[in-house]
Amino acid sequence: MRTSDTVRRPPYRQFPTALRFSVRDQTRNRLAGLLLVLFVPVWYLLMDAMAGGEVLEFRLYATGEVLQVDGGRLTLITAGLNCVTMIAGFVVFDAVRKALLFDRRLVFAGYGQAVLVGAKTLAVVVVAAAIALYTALAVLFLWRPSVGGWFAVLAGFTVIALTYGALGLLLGVLVKRDLEGFFLIIMGGLMDTFLQNPLGNPLANEPVLRWFPSFGPMQFAAGGAFGDTVLWGHLGLGLLWAGAFSAVGLVVFWIRTRSRNHAR
Amino acid sequence: MSSGTVLAPPALEARDLHKSYGTHRVLRGADLTVAPGRLVAVVGENGAGKSTLLKALAGVLAADRGEVVHHGTLGYCPQEPVLNNSLTVEQHLRYFAAARRLPGLERGHGLVRQLGYEKYLGTAAGELSGGTRQKLNLTLALLHDPDVLLLDEPYQGFDWETYLRFWELTEELRSHGRAVVVITHLVFEQERFDLLADLVDGRLVTRATGATEAEEARHADV
Repeated sequence: MRTSDTVRRPPYRQFPTALRFSVRDQTRNRLAGLLLVLFVPVWYLLMDAMAGGEVLEFRLYATGEVLQVDGGRLTLITAGLNCVTMIAGFVVFDAVRKALLFDRRLVFAGYGQAVLVGAKTLAVVVVAAAIALYTALAVLFLWRPSVGGWFAVLAGFTVIALTYGALGLLLGVLVKRDLEGFFLIIMGGLMDTFLQNPLGNPLANEPVLRWFPSFGPMQFAAGGAFGDTVLWGHLGLGLLWAGAFSAVGLVVFWIRTRSRNHAR
Repeated sequence: MSSGTVLAPPALEARDLHKSYGTHRVLRGADLTVAPGRLVAVVGENGAGKSTLLKALAGVLAADRGEVVHHGTLGYCPQEPVLNNSLTVEQHLRYFAAARRLPGLERGHGLVRQLGYEKYLGTAAGELSGGTRQKLNLTLALLHDPDVLLLDEPYQGFDWETYLRFWELTEELRSHGRAVVVITHLVFEQERFDLLADLVDGRLVTRATGATEAEEARHADV
Protein backbone atom coordinates (compact mmCIF):
# COMPACT_ATOMS: atom_id res chain seq x y z
CA MET A 1 0.00 0.00 0.00
CA ARG A 2 2.76 2.41 0.96
CA THR A 3 6.23 2.44 -0.47
CA SER A 4 7.71 1.66 2.93
CA ASP A 5 5.72 -1.57 2.96
CA THR A 6 6.35 -2.69 -0.59
CA VAL A 7 10.16 -2.36 -0.62
CA ARG A 8 11.22 -4.23 2.49
CA ARG A 9 14.73 -4.87 3.60
CA PRO A 10 15.45 -8.48 4.46
CA PRO A 11 15.27 -8.92 8.25
CA TYR A 12 18.86 -10.07 8.62
CA ARG A 13 19.97 -6.46 8.30
CA GLN A 14 18.76 -6.00 11.86
CA PHE A 15 21.70 -8.00 13.17
CA PRO A 16 24.62 -5.84 11.94
CA THR A 17 22.79 -2.70 13.09
CA ALA A 18 22.14 -4.12 16.56
CA LEU A 19 25.69 -5.48 16.86
CA ARG A 20 27.27 -2.18 15.86
CA PHE A 21 25.18 -0.15 18.27
CA SER A 22 25.53 -2.67 21.12
CA VAL A 23 29.33 -2.58 20.82
CA ARG A 24 29.22 1.20 20.66
CA ASP A 25 27.01 1.27 23.74
CA GLN A 26 29.46 -0.83 25.72
CA THR A 27 32.57 1.02 24.60
CA ARG A 28 31.44 4.58 25.24
CA ASN A 29 31.74 4.18 29.00
CA ARG A 30 34.44 6.74 29.84
CA LEU A 31 34.87 5.63 33.43
CA ALA A 32 35.58 2.09 32.28
CA GLY A 33 38.11 3.43 29.77
CA LEU A 34 39.81 5.37 32.54
CA LEU A 35 39.84 2.27 34.75
CA LEU A 36 41.54 0.33 31.96
CA VAL A 37 44.19 2.98 31.35
CA LEU A 38 44.90 3.87 35.00
CA PHE A 39 43.55 1.22 37.33
CA VAL A 40 45.03 -1.82 35.58
CA PRO A 41 48.70 -0.65 35.67
CA VAL A 42 48.34 0.89 39.16
CA TRP A 43 46.77 -2.30 40.52
CA TYR A 44 49.52 -4.43 38.95
CA LEU A 45 52.27 -2.18 40.37
CA LEU A 46 50.67 -2.11 43.80
CA MET A 47 50.12 -5.86 43.99
CA ASP A 48 53.62 -6.50 42.63
CA ALA A 49 55.15 -4.23 45.28
CA MET A 50 53.13 -5.84 48.07
CA ALA A 51 53.61 -9.46 47.07
CA GLY A 52 57.39 -9.66 46.82
CA GLY A 53 58.91 -12.82 45.44
CA GLU A 54 58.36 -15.40 48.14
CA VAL A 55 57.66 -18.95 47.03
CA LEU A 56 54.08 -20.13 47.44
CA GLU A 57 52.44 -23.48 47.04
CA PHE A 58 49.66 -23.57 44.48
CA ARG A 59 47.60 -26.68 43.90
CA LEU A 60 46.62 -27.75 40.40
CA TYR A 61 43.46 -29.74 40.92
CA ALA A 62 43.45 -31.46 37.54
CA THR A 63 46.82 -33.12 38.12
CA GLY A 64 46.92 -33.07 41.91
CA GLU A 65 50.30 -31.40 41.55
CA VAL A 66 51.38 -28.73 44.04
CA LEU A 67 53.46 -26.12 42.23
CA GLN A 68 56.12 -24.02 43.90
CA VAL A 69 55.48 -20.64 42.35
CA ASP A 70 56.77 -17.10 42.63
CA GLY A 71 54.20 -15.34 44.83
CA GLY A 72 54.65 -12.04 43.00
CA ARG A 73 53.84 -13.57 39.65
CA LEU A 74 50.90 -15.56 40.95
CA THR A 75 49.61 -12.35 42.47
CA LEU A 76 49.91 -10.62 39.11
CA ILE A 77 47.54 -13.22 37.67
CA THR A 78 44.99 -12.73 40.44
CA ALA A 79 45.38 -8.95 40.14
CA GLY A 80 44.73 -9.17 36.40
CA LEU A 81 41.75 -11.47 36.93
CA ASN A 82 40.43 -9.02 39.50
CA CYS A 83 40.76 -6.01 37.15
CA VAL A 84 39.04 -7.90 34.36
CA THR A 85 36.10 -9.00 36.55
CA MET A 86 35.45 -5.44 37.65
CA ILE A 87 35.83 -3.68 34.32
CA ALA A 88 34.04 -6.25 32.13
CA GLY A 89 31.23 -6.58 34.70
CA PHE A 90 30.86 -2.84 35.09
CA VAL A 91 30.90 -2.05 31.34
CA VAL A 92 28.26 -4.62 30.43
CA PHE A 93 26.09 -3.98 33.49
CA ASP A 94 26.00 -0.24 32.85
CA ALA A 95 25.25 -0.55 29.13
CA VAL A 96 22.61 -3.27 29.46
CA ARG A 97 20.83 -1.55 32.33
CA LYS A 98 20.70 1.84 30.66
CA ALA A 99 19.47 0.42 27.35
CA LEU A 100 16.81 -1.93 28.74
CA LEU A 101 13.78 0.32 28.21
CA PHE A 102 15.14 1.37 24.83
CA ASP A 103 15.60 -2.27 23.82
CA ARG A 104 12.04 -2.89 24.86
CA ARG A 105 10.93 -0.09 22.59
CA LEU A 106 12.96 -1.60 19.75
CA VAL A 107 11.29 -4.98 20.22
CA PHE A 108 7.93 -3.25 20.35
CA ALA A 109 8.83 -1.54 17.06
CA GLY A 110 9.50 -4.88 15.43
CA TYR A 111 13.08 -5.82 16.30
CA GLY A 112 13.53 -9.56 16.55
CA GLN A 113 14.20 -10.44 20.19
CA ALA A 114 16.48 -13.27 19.11
CA VAL A 115 18.38 -10.83 16.88
CA LEU A 116 18.86 -8.37 19.74
CA VAL A 117 19.87 -11.15 22.13
CA GLY A 118 22.38 -12.51 19.61
CA ALA A 119 23.85 -9.08 18.92
CA LYS A 120 24.12 -8.26 22.61
CA THR A 121 25.83 -11.56 23.36
CA LEU A 122 28.35 -11.09 20.55
CA ALA A 123 28.97 -7.52 21.69
CA VAL A 124 29.74 -8.81 25.21
CA VAL A 125 32.18 -11.34 23.72
CA VAL A 126 33.95 -8.67 21.64
CA VAL A 127 34.22 -6.21 24.52
CA ALA A 128 35.25 -8.86 27.08
CA ALA A 129 37.93 -10.20 24.73
CA ALA A 130 39.31 -6.68 24.17
CA ILE A 131 39.47 -5.98 27.92
CA ALA A 132 41.19 -9.33 28.54
CA LEU A 133 43.72 -8.72 25.76
CA TYR A 134 44.62 -5.28 27.10
CA THR A 135 45.00 -6.60 30.67
CA ALA A 136 47.14 -9.53 29.50
CA LEU A 137 49.37 -7.21 27.47
CA ALA A 138 49.79 -4.85 30.41
CA VAL A 139 51.17 -7.65 32.60
CA LEU A 140 54.16 -7.95 30.23
CA PHE A 141 55.65 -4.75 31.70
CA LEU A 142 56.22 -6.57 34.98
CA TRP A 143 56.57 -10.18 33.99
CA ARG A 144 57.59 -12.04 30.82
CA PRO A 145 56.21 -15.58 30.97
CA SER A 146 56.84 -18.05 28.13
CA VAL A 147 54.70 -17.53 25.01
CA GLY A 148 52.55 -20.52 25.93
CA GLY A 149 52.32 -19.25 29.51
CA TRP A 150 51.18 -15.82 28.32
CA PHE A 151 48.51 -17.34 26.10
CA ALA A 152 47.29 -19.35 29.07
CA VAL A 153 47.04 -16.12 31.08
CA LEU A 154 45.23 -14.45 28.17
CA ALA A 155 42.80 -17.36 27.89
CA GLY A 156 42.14 -17.27 31.64
CA PHE A 157 41.54 -13.51 31.51
CA THR A 158 39.23 -13.88 28.49
CA VAL A 159 37.11 -16.52 30.16
CA ILE A 160 36.78 -14.56 33.42
CA ALA A 161 35.95 -11.43 31.35
CA LEU A 162 33.20 -13.39 29.61
CA THR A 163 31.95 -14.71 32.96
CA TYR A 164 31.74 -11.28 34.58
CA GLY A 165 30.46 -9.69 31.37
CA ALA A 166 27.66 -12.26 31.49
CA LEU A 167 27.13 -11.53 35.20
CA GLY A 168 26.94 -7.82 34.29
CA LEU A 169 24.30 -8.66 31.73
CA LEU A 170 22.34 -10.72 34.26
CA LEU A 171 22.49 -7.98 36.91
CA GLY A 172 21.73 -5.32 34.26
CA VAL A 173 18.36 -6.89 33.52
CA LEU A 174 17.66 -7.89 37.11
CA VAL A 175 18.57 -5.29 39.73
CA LYS A 176 16.62 -2.12 40.34
CA ARG A 177 19.40 0.35 41.20
CA ASP A 178 22.90 1.08 39.92
CA LEU A 179 24.45 0.78 43.35
CA GLU A 180 23.25 -2.79 43.92
CA GLY A 181 24.76 -3.93 40.65
CA PHE A 182 28.09 -2.18 41.18
CA PHE A 183 28.35 -3.54 44.71
CA LEU A 184 27.64 -7.11 43.66
CA ILE A 185 30.11 -6.98 40.77
CA ILE A 186 32.93 -5.34 42.75
CA MET A 187 32.52 -7.42 45.90
CA GLY A 188 31.87 -10.61 43.96
CA GLY A 189 34.94 -10.14 41.77
CA LEU A 190 37.15 -9.12 44.67
CA MET A 191 36.21 -12.06 46.89
CA ASP A 192 36.24 -14.53 44.05
CA THR A 193 39.74 -13.69 42.78
CA PHE A 194 41.29 -12.87 46.18
CA LEU A 195 40.36 -16.26 47.59
CA GLN A 196 42.16 -18.10 44.79
CA ASN A 197 45.53 -16.67 45.84
CA PRO A 198 47.44 -18.49 48.62
CA LEU A 199 49.34 -15.26 49.38
CA GLY A 200 46.29 -13.44 50.69
CA ASN A 201 44.22 -16.43 51.69
CA PRO A 202 45.61 -19.21 53.87
CA LEU A 203 42.61 -21.29 52.83
CA ALA A 204 43.55 -21.19 49.14
CA ASN A 205 44.09 -24.62 47.65
CA GLU A 206 41.01 -25.81 49.57
CA PRO A 207 38.43 -27.77 47.53
CA VAL A 208 35.68 -25.24 48.35
CA LEU A 209 37.32 -22.83 45.89
CA ARG A 210 36.22 -25.05 43.04
CA TRP A 211 32.75 -23.56 43.40
CA PHE A 212 33.88 -20.03 42.54
CA PRO A 213 33.71 -18.60 38.99
CA SER A 214 37.39 -17.64 38.80
CA PHE A 215 38.58 -21.12 39.87
CA GLY A 216 38.71 -22.54 36.33
CA PRO A 217 40.41 -19.54 34.68
CA MET A 218 42.91 -19.26 37.58
CA GLN A 219 43.82 -22.95 37.35
CA PHE A 220 44.21 -22.68 33.58
CA ALA A 221 46.33 -19.51 33.74
CA ALA A 222 48.57 -20.76 36.57
CA GLY A 223 48.85 -24.26 35.08
CA GLY A 224 49.96 -22.82 31.76
CA ALA A 225 52.26 -20.16 33.14
CA PHE A 226 53.97 -22.20 35.89
CA GLY A 227 53.31 -25.87 35.20
CA ASP A 228 53.41 -26.09 31.40
CA THR A 229 50.09 -27.89 31.50
CA VAL A 230 47.03 -27.09 29.46
CA LEU A 231 43.94 -27.68 31.58
CA TRP A 232 41.21 -27.40 28.97
CA GLY A 233 38.64 -28.85 31.34
CA HIS A 234 39.20 -26.00 33.77
CA LEU A 235 38.92 -23.43 31.01
CA GLY A 236 35.67 -25.15 30.07
CA LEU A 237 34.51 -24.90 33.68
CA GLY A 238 34.99 -21.13 33.46
CA LEU A 239 33.03 -21.03 30.22
CA LEU A 240 30.27 -22.98 31.91
CA TRP A 241 29.89 -20.15 34.46
CA ALA A 242 29.82 -17.62 31.61
CA GLY A 243 27.22 -19.68 29.77
CA ALA A 244 25.07 -20.10 32.87
CA PHE A 245 25.10 -16.38 33.77
CA SER A 246 24.34 -15.31 30.23
CA ALA A 247 21.61 -17.93 29.74
CA VAL A 248 19.75 -16.74 32.84
CA GLY A 249 20.41 -13.08 31.93
CA LEU A 250 19.14 -13.49 28.39
CA VAL A 251 16.00 -15.30 29.53
CA VAL A 252 15.25 -12.40 31.91
CA PHE A 253 16.04 -9.96 29.06
CA TRP A 254 13.66 -11.88 26.81
CA ILE A 255 10.88 -11.71 29.41
CA ARG A 256 11.44 -8.03 30.18
CA THR A 257 11.52 -6.88 26.55
CA ARG A 258 8.68 -8.95 25.16
CA SER A 259 5.84 -7.13 23.48
CA ARG A 260 2.18 -7.68 24.27
CA ASN A 261 1.01 -6.24 21.01
CA HIS A 262 -1.87 -7.90 19.16
CA ALA A 263 -2.87 -6.68 15.71
CA ARG A 264 -5.61 -8.00 13.54
CA MET B 1 -12.50 9.91 -0.45
CA SER B 2 -13.74 10.97 2.95
CA SER B 3 -16.93 8.93 2.61
CA GLY B 4 -14.62 5.86 2.31
CA THR B 5 -13.21 6.51 5.77
CA VAL B 6 -16.71 6.50 7.21
CA LEU B 7 -17.37 2.99 5.90
CA ALA B 8 -13.99 1.58 6.95
CA PRO B 9 -13.78 -0.68 10.05
CA PRO B 10 -12.49 0.99 13.20
CA ALA B 11 -8.74 1.45 13.33
CA LEU B 12 -8.69 0.85 17.08
CA GLU B 13 -11.15 -0.84 19.38
CA ALA B 14 -10.77 -1.25 23.11
CA ARG B 15 -13.39 -3.09 25.09
CA ASP B 16 -13.86 -3.28 28.84
CA LEU B 17 -10.27 -2.51 29.83
CA HIS B 18 -9.41 -3.12 33.47
CA LYS B 19 -6.12 -2.42 35.16
CA SER B 20 -5.22 -2.24 38.85
CA TYR B 21 -2.00 -1.44 40.65
CA GLY B 22 -2.37 -3.36 43.89
CA THR B 23 -5.67 -2.27 45.36
CA HIS B 24 -5.76 0.90 43.27
CA ARG B 25 -8.16 0.28 40.38
CA VAL B 26 -7.08 2.63 37.59
CA LEU B 27 -9.12 1.36 34.64
CA ARG B 28 -12.58 -0.03 35.36
CA GLY B 29 -14.05 -1.02 32.05
CA ALA B 30 -12.80 1.60 29.61
CA ASP B 31 -14.16 1.36 26.04
CA LEU B 32 -12.91 3.27 23.03
CA THR B 33 -13.47 3.00 19.28
CA VAL B 34 -11.53 5.14 16.83
CA ALA B 35 -12.27 5.24 13.11
CA PRO B 36 -9.53 5.83 10.53
CA GLY B 37 -8.89 9.53 9.95
CA ARG B 38 -10.17 10.47 13.39
CA LEU B 39 -8.34 12.54 15.97
CA VAL B 40 -9.29 11.69 19.55
CA ALA B 41 -8.23 13.49 22.73
CA VAL B 42 -8.03 11.57 25.98
CA VAL B 43 -8.56 14.05 28.78
CA GLY B 44 -8.82 13.67 32.53
CA GLU B 45 -7.41 14.83 35.83
CA ASN B 46 -3.85 14.15 36.91
CA GLY B 47 -3.63 10.56 38.08
CA ALA B 48 -6.86 9.58 36.32
CA GLY B 49 -4.96 6.84 34.46
CA LYS B 50 -4.56 8.41 31.02
CA SER B 51 -1.01 7.09 30.53
CA THR B 52 -2.01 3.67 31.83
CA LEU B 53 -4.86 3.62 29.32
CA LEU B 54 -2.56 4.54 26.44
CA LYS B 55 0.01 1.93 27.47
CA ALA B 56 -2.73 -0.69 27.56
CA LEU B 57 -3.97 0.45 24.13
CA ALA B 58 -0.40 0.28 22.80
CA GLY B 59 0.22 -3.14 24.29
CA VAL B 60 3.28 -2.10 26.31
CA LEU B 61 1.28 -2.80 29.47
CA ALA B 62 -0.89 -5.89 29.89
CA ALA B 63 -4.43 -5.06 30.99
CA ASP B 64 -5.91 -7.27 33.72
CA ARG B 65 -9.04 -7.74 31.63
CA GLY B 66 -10.47 -6.54 28.36
CA GLU B 67 -9.46 -6.53 24.74
CA VAL B 68 -7.64 -4.18 22.41
CA VAL B 69 -7.73 -4.68 18.66
CA HIS B 70 -6.07 -2.46 16.11
CA HIS B 71 -6.28 -2.83 12.37
CA GLY B 72 -2.97 -2.03 10.74
CA THR B 73 0.32 -0.82 12.15
CA LEU B 74 0.67 0.95 15.46
CA GLY B 75 2.89 3.80 16.63
CA TYR B 76 3.23 4.70 20.31
CA CYS B 77 4.95 7.79 21.67
CA PRO B 78 5.56 7.41 25.43
CA GLN B 79 5.28 10.43 27.73
CA GLU B 80 8.90 10.18 28.87
CA PRO B 81 11.24 9.92 25.87
CA VAL B 82 12.65 6.40 25.63
CA LEU B 83 15.99 6.95 23.89
CA ASN B 84 19.54 5.64 24.05
CA ASN B 85 21.72 8.49 25.32
CA SER B 86 24.88 7.19 23.68
CA LEU B 87 23.39 7.11 20.17
CA THR B 88 22.96 10.12 17.90
CA VAL B 89 19.66 11.20 16.33
CA GLU B 90 20.75 9.68 13.01
CA GLN B 91 21.66 6.39 14.71
CA HIS B 92 18.23 6.30 16.37
CA LEU B 93 16.64 6.67 12.94
CA ARG B 94 18.80 3.82 11.61
CA TYR B 95 18.03 1.56 14.56
CA PHE B 96 14.28 2.04 14.22
CA ALA B 97 14.40 1.80 10.44
CA ALA B 98 15.99 -1.62 10.96
CA ALA B 99 13.32 -2.47 13.55
CA ARG B 100 10.54 -1.52 11.13
CA ARG B 101 12.39 -3.02 8.17
CA LEU B 102 12.16 0.22 6.23
CA PRO B 103 14.10 0.56 2.99
CA GLY B 104 15.71 3.87 3.87
CA LEU B 105 15.79 6.89 6.13
CA GLU B 106 13.88 9.30 3.86
CA ARG B 107 10.81 9.48 6.05
CA GLY B 108 12.93 9.83 9.19
CA HIS B 109 14.87 12.72 7.71
CA GLY B 110 11.61 14.25 6.45
CA LEU B 111 10.13 14.16 9.97
CA VAL B 112 13.32 15.62 11.46
CA ARG B 113 13.10 18.51 8.98
CA GLN B 114 9.40 18.96 9.57
CA LEU B 115 9.94 19.21 13.32
CA GLY B 116 12.92 21.52 12.72
CA TYR B 117 15.83 19.74 14.42
CA GLU B 118 17.96 18.63 11.46
CA LYS B 119 21.04 20.36 12.88
CA TYR B 120 21.07 17.81 15.71
CA LEU B 121 21.25 14.72 13.46
CA GLY B 122 24.83 14.05 14.59
CA THR B 123 24.25 14.86 18.28
CA ALA B 124 24.00 12.12 20.92
CA ALA B 125 20.55 11.90 22.51
CA GLY B 126 22.12 12.43 25.95
CA GLU B 127 23.22 15.92 24.91
CA LEU B 128 19.86 17.06 23.49
CA SER B 129 17.56 19.53 25.24
CA GLY B 130 14.27 18.24 26.68
CA GLY B 131 12.25 19.60 23.76
CA THR B 132 14.52 18.06 21.13
CA ARG B 133 14.47 14.71 22.94
CA GLN B 134 10.70 14.85 22.76
CA LYS B 135 10.88 15.58 19.01
CA LEU B 136 13.05 12.50 18.51
CA ASN B 137 10.70 10.48 20.72
CA LEU B 138 7.81 11.50 18.45
CA THR B 139 9.80 10.91 15.26
CA LEU B 140 10.50 7.31 16.31
CA ALA B 141 6.77 6.71 16.81
CA LEU B 142 5.94 8.13 13.36
CA LEU B 143 8.84 6.61 11.42
CA HIS B 144 6.86 3.78 9.79
CA ASP B 145 3.80 5.94 9.03
CA PRO B 146 1.53 3.84 11.27
CA ASP B 147 -2.22 3.47 10.76
CA VAL B 148 -2.91 4.06 14.44
CA LEU B 149 -0.97 6.58 16.50
CA LEU B 150 -1.04 6.78 20.29
CA LEU B 151 0.64 9.92 21.62
CA ASP B 152 1.08 10.58 25.33
CA GLU B 153 1.38 14.38 25.74
CA PRO B 154 3.64 14.50 22.69
CA TYR B 155 4.44 18.20 22.71
CA GLN B 156 5.83 18.61 26.23
CA GLY B 157 8.76 21.02 26.08
CA PHE B 158 7.98 22.14 22.52
CA ASP B 159 8.30 25.83 21.76
CA TRP B 160 5.32 27.55 20.13
CA GLU B 161 6.62 27.15 16.57
CA THR B 162 7.24 23.42 17.02
CA TYR B 163 3.87 23.07 18.70
CA LEU B 164 2.23 24.53 15.56
CA ARG B 165 4.34 22.26 13.35
CA PHE B 166 3.18 19.31 15.41
CA TRP B 167 -0.42 20.20 14.66
CA GLU B 168 0.33 20.61 10.95
CA LEU B 169 1.84 17.14 11.00
CA THR B 170 -1.13 15.69 12.88
CA GLU B 171 -3.57 17.27 10.43
CA GLU B 172 -1.58 15.75 7.59
CA LEU B 173 -1.75 12.30 9.21
CA ARG B 174 -5.47 12.65 9.76
CA SER B 175 -6.05 13.67 6.17
CA HIS B 176 -4.21 10.50 5.11
CA GLY B 177 -6.64 8.39 7.09
CA ARG B 178 -4.49 7.72 10.13
CA ALA B 179 -6.28 7.34 13.46
CA VAL B 180 -4.64 9.48 16.16
CA VAL B 181 -5.22 9.31 19.91
CA VAL B 182 -3.58 12.08 21.94
CA ILE B 183 -3.45 12.53 25.70
CA THR B 184 -3.83 16.20 26.46
CA HIS B 185 -4.73 18.46 29.33
CA LEU B 186 -4.82 21.72 27.40
CA VAL B 187 -8.41 22.92 27.33
CA PHE B 188 -7.86 25.55 24.65
CA GLU B 189 -6.90 23.04 21.95
CA GLN B 190 -9.88 20.77 22.36
CA GLU B 191 -11.54 22.22 19.27
CA ARG B 192 -8.89 20.57 17.16
CA PHE B 193 -10.19 17.06 17.95
CA ASP B 194 -13.04 15.04 16.51
CA LEU B 195 -13.80 13.40 19.81
CA LEU B 196 -13.00 14.05 23.45
CA ALA B 197 -12.73 10.97 25.63
CA ASP B 198 -12.88 11.96 29.28
CA LEU B 199 -11.37 9.41 31.65
CA VAL B 200 -13.45 9.50 34.83
CA ASP B 201 -13.43 6.76 37.49
CA GLY B 202 -11.60 4.42 35.13
CA ARG B 203 -14.13 4.71 32.31
CA LEU B 204 -14.20 6.79 29.17
CA VAL B 205 -17.03 9.22 28.57
CA THR B 206 -16.90 10.45 24.99
CA ARG B 207 -18.32 13.61 23.52
CA ALA B 208 -18.12 15.07 20.04
CA THR B 209 -16.53 18.46 19.47
CA GLY B 210 -17.23 21.27 17.05
CA ALA B 211 -14.74 19.72 14.64
CA THR B 212 -16.79 16.52 14.38
CA GLU B 213 -20.01 18.38 13.78
CA ALA B 214 -18.39 20.38 10.99
CA GLU B 215 -16.95 17.16 9.54
CA GLU B 216 -20.30 15.39 9.70
CA ALA B 217 -21.96 18.33 7.98
CA ARG B 218 -19.33 18.03 5.25
CA HIS B 219 -20.01 14.28 4.84
CA ALA B 220 -23.73 15.01 4.65
CA ASP B 221 -22.98 17.40 1.83
CA VAL B 222 -21.05 14.68 -0.04
